[in-house]
This record gives sequence, C-alpha cells and structure tokens, in this order.
Amino acid sequence: MARRYDSRTTIFSPEGRLYQIEYAMEAISRAGTVLGVLAKDGVVLAAEKKVTGKLLDLSGGGYGGSGEKIYLVNRNIIAGVAGITSDANSLVNSARSAAQGHLLSYDSDIPVELLAQRICNMKQGYTQYGGLRPFGVSLLYAGYDEQHQFQLYHSDPSGNYSGWKATCIGANNGTAQSLLKQEYKEDISVKDAIGLVLRTMSKTMDSTTLGSDKLEFSVLTVDEVTKEPKAKIYKPAEIDALLEKEGLAKKDDDTVMAAA
Amino acid sequence: METSFAITGKGYTIVASDTTAARSIVKMKVDEDRIKVLSSHLLMACSGEPGDTIQFSEFVERNIRLFQIRNNYSLKPSAAAAWIRRSLAQSLRSRKPYSVNLLLGGYDTTSHRPHLYWVDYLGTMTEVPFAAHGYGSYFVLSLLDKYHDPEAPLEEGLAVLKRCMDEVAKRLIVNPSAYKIKIVDKDGVREIEL
Amino acid sequence: MSIMEYNGGSVIAMVGKECVAIACDLRLGNQALGISSKFEKIFPVTDKLYVGLPGLATDVTTLKELFRYRVNMYTIKEEREIEPDTFAHLVSSTLYERRFGPYFIEPVMAGISTTPGGKVKPFIAATDLIGCLNFAKDFVVAGTASSKLFGVAEGLWEPDLEPEDLFETISQTMLNAVDRDAYSGWGTMVYVITKDKVIQRTLKGRMD
Repeated sequence: MARRYDSRTTIFSPEGRLYQIEYAMEAISRAGTVLGVLAKDGVVLAAEKKVTGKLLDLSGGGYGGSGEKIYLVNRNIIAGVAGITSDANSLVNSARSAAQGHLLSYDSDIPVELLAQRICNMKQGYTQYGGLRPFGVSLLYAGYDEQHQFQLYHSDPSGNYSGWKATCIGANNGTAQSLLKQEYKEDISVKDAIGLVLRTMSKTMDSTTLGSDKLEFSVLTVDEVTKEPKAKIYKPAEIDALLEKEGLAKKDDDTVMAAA
Repeated sequence: METSFAITGKGYTIVASDTTAARSIVKMKVDEDRIKVLSSHLLMACSGEPGDTIQFSEFVERNIRLFQIRNNYSLKPSAAAAWIRRSLAQSLRSRKPYSVNLLLGGYDTTSHRPHLYWVDYLGTMTEVPFAAHGYGSYFVLSLLDKYHDPEAPLEEGLAVLKRCMDEVAKRLIVNPSAYKIKIVDKDGVREIEL
Repeated sequence: MSIMEYNGGSVIAMVGKECVAIACDLRLGNQALGISSKFEKIFPVTDKLYVGLPGLATDVTTLKELFRYRVNMYTIKEEREIEPDTFAHLVSSTLYERRFGPYFIEPVMAGISTTPGGKVKPFIAATDLIGCLNFAKDFVVAGTASSKLFGVAEGLWEPDLEPEDLFETISQTMLNAVDRDAYSGWGTMVYVITKDKVIQRTLKGRMD
C-alpha cells in the first residue's frame, strides 16, 4: 500500500504531498553540482561534470558549450542544469524556442524572469496533467536584461522559481550554500565571484582536484563598449588556464612523486 | 481625410491629429480623440477605416496593458512598435485586413531618448525624426524637411507644429477644424492646447 | 502599379578577389512620396554573410526577423555558424513555402566562406520572390533599379577586383543606377566583406 500515492504525479497523498515531485527532487540532489553567483557586473555559473573518463570524446560541441550541463539559451541567458540530462535537453530546447519567439514578437531579447516563467509553466503542467512523469531537472538561469540588469534564478521540478544572489543545486548543495552564505559579499565583482565560485566548487566536489574534465564554467557580462550582453562558456583549455590563474589547478602527480 | 503628424525634438515627441470624424462629405463629430495613450510613455495616433481604427487600437491598448500587468514593466517603444507592426503584417495576409495607419510616439525611459515610428496598414515600419499620414502629409513632410530640428527645445518644436497646422489649413481643400496634441517626454504623457 | 514597386528600393552584390560587396539604397517611399531616407535593406546573417531584401517594405522587416529566427535556431542547435550556400537554400525554401501567396521580396546574398584548406571562397546569390536561386560568378541585382543596375554593372565590373577597387565599382554602379530610378536612391549603404574584416560605408546620394 505504500505505493498507492506515488505511482501517479497528479495524486496527493493523505499528508498533502506529491511524491513524484519529491522523488524528482531527490534525483536532482544526487546529480552533479551547479553553482551560480550574482555579481554587480555579471553572473558566474559553474557545474560539476559527472560523466567523465579518458575514453569520453570531448572533441564535439563548441558554440553552445562543450559539456553536458551548461547551455547557451539566448545571447543574454545561460542555463545550468542538474538532474536527468535528457529531460534537460528538452527543456533547454523549449527555452531556446521561447527566447527566439520573443525576439520575433518584440524585436528585443527575452527578459530573464519571463524565460524562467515560461519554462516553469511547462514544468508545472507535468505535475497536474495526467499520466506523465515530471521533468527531473532543476535549472539555474544566469541572465541579463535592460529592466533588471543581472539576475540569477533557480527553478525546480514542481515549477517553482526564485531569484538568488548565490545558490547551488545538485549534490552537496547544502554544504555549498552554507559556504556561499558565509563568503558572499554585497557588491561583489565578477572577478571576485569567479574566485568564490571556483573555491566553493573545489570544496564541495567529490574529487579533490579541479580540472576541465570535471568542471564546466561560464560567465555572463556586458560589453563595455556596445552595452550588449556577452555570454561566455569556457572551453576546456580556458578552464584549465583559469584554474591555473586562481591557484586551484590539478597538482601534477609526477612532480609530486619526484619531489618525494 | 484625416491628417495626423508627429515630430521629435530634444527629449520629447509631439503627436498631433485632427479631431474631425467625417462620413462622406458630412462632418459627424469635431472632437474625436484619435491619439491613444498606450502606456505611461507611449502614444499612438490611428487613422484609416473608422471601425478598424477603433477595433485595432483597442486591441493594441489591451494587449500592451496585459503585458504590463503580467510582467510588471512596460514594453519599451521599440518593442511595442515591433509587436504592433507584426500584428498589422499578420492581419494584412488574413481574410479581412485592418486598414489602419499609425504614428507611434514614445520616450524610452531606459535610454532616455524619444522615438517616433511611422507605420502603415501593410505593416511597413520605419523610425523617423518626423512623420505624417493622410492628405496633410503631402504639405507637412516637405515643410518639415525645411524646418524640423531634432535638437529643438519644446517651444520651437511646438512652433514648427503650428506652422504645419497652418499650412494644412491654407492648402488642403477641407480644413480640419481642430487638432488634439499630445506630448510624451521623460515625465510621461500630457495633452496640450495650441 | 506593381506591388514590387510600391515602396521602391534596390540591392546589388558583386564578387571581387577573395572578397565580395553588397550595396543598397536607403529610400522608403509610398509610391512617389518619400517617407524615410534611413531605411536599410541589408542585414548581417553572420559576420561574413549579409543579405539584402529589396521589395515590399513590410516584408523586408518580416523576412529580416524570420531569417534571424531561423538562423539563430540553426546556429544554436548546430553549434556553428551557417555557411553562405546553406543560407541561400534556407532563403529559397522559406520563400517557396509561400509559393501561392508570396513575400514580395527578391533577396540578394553576399558572403565569403573559408575552406578547410584555408582557401577563401567568395559567394553571391539572388532569388526571385518565390525562391528560385541564381548563383552568379560576377554580380546580381534586384529591386526597382535592377534594369539600370544591370547596365552600369555590365560596363564597370571586371574580374578579380581588390577590396578597395570593388568598393569603388559597386559604389559608382549603385549611385549612377539609382539616379535614373525615381523609386530608389536617397543615399547608399555599401558593405565590402573580406576574410578578416567588413568595411561598411554610408554614401551620400542625390536627395531628389
């Protein structure tokens, strides 16, 4: 009888809970971490890659990011996903269509919150209309628009969304959030936010060393001259260079051995 | 036929439209307001087929308002203009297109610039420093070629507007009896008498 | 009165040596009445590919937005920028979709592509209003001044022009052709696309 209220998404349990939604959230809390920090002059998004291994072909991809977790949604919005990647792909597709649809109607980039709302409407639908499974995905949206400048949103499988200064989804999100709470400062700059994100990531990730094989990274800023949003998803080589600069790069095992 | 014209200046857009509603050779009304206030910083002068102007302008007005309520901010003039143009362009290829010509005057509160768009019933849209629709446009446009200054202060802008109205009165066979004049600038929309 | 001549306007594209050029006039009219002298008809597709859309002005805007939509979708899904010849077929099929109620536009495209070997390949093409493609090796014209543009271009164009010479050729062709056309003119905009930069210039023309 325990299975009575959790086989269908649309049925409340006697305690007033929707089990399928809670299971979806559980799935997400095991997924690779995605972490976002809102700075005064940009937004930083980083993600932990779970699928790794030296036989994995990383040569594909490039324009929208090479990885599995960070996607370019529109020129002013980057999304980081945690959960079932295939579900995320379909959501990212909808998000891209929504963004381009807005551009077609209004000849201007979609506001970040409006995009988050569009995706959440879709997610909410699957908690109510019969027979289907909800999206097993949480997203972080890092974006910029003229009305509210830089923004960071989080949305979960129930279709709830909220704005954040710094937040984290996926595995170890509790640890990361308390670290962020301690270290986040108002009026933080992008430069400092990059450091904060990388340091927090290195502390929460399962592996001890950070490298482009495990990390995805992106920054959204505004071009100083044109005032147009500039979304940059780092390529693996650029991530390694950045880690080097921040002093968080992988220790070369051979050198350590030689020293010992 | 109805005449409406509009000019931009330093930090403002003025939209003027005659107030005569006529059927054939008969004046039915002389205080018709053809300039809709779409949002706090957006004006739209409509002319064309009488039923269509009302139907279309109310459709636009309600949709702009709905966007504002849903999203908690107003569309900037360029975005509103793009949406309105698209509505007309889609209507053009429908069974019964709207025959409505528009002048959209607005003030962009994010970039602090006045904007003016000339739009016709086909969905043709272009941003211009000054614009006119109707028979009056044949006199007014050439006059504005000579006298319009995009950097003129409001008093000068209104003086040029007066010139336009006088010219239409002098040369057009049916003289519009009165004009509604509305200004949009950083403080929003207001109506004035000249 | 043809609907293709309602608003006026013309576009031309030419091939040079490892470069291409595309130019349009800036007039927007309502038959004989001029409305705007800043109505551009050429739009960037990528940083090495431009499209010119002469014809009915409402469709200029509609198609500009439609092509932007389709190219953006292509770019983000394909994770690379669209190639000129691919775009030409996108234009063609978009127009043919409306075979029996067409957009009144005759697009002109100009761009360059780089082969994997590093060779620069100039590309120009034009279509009619229902998407029949015309790949030319020299120049393509469209719009209300197209007949005049053909005549002047035939006389001035020669193969393998360097970017600056190509600029001069296309500019003179455009300026002189639109002076014989009542529906085109009011200024000209020229783009010369080379493998590492795009030169964009606005030319003054007769304002009558």
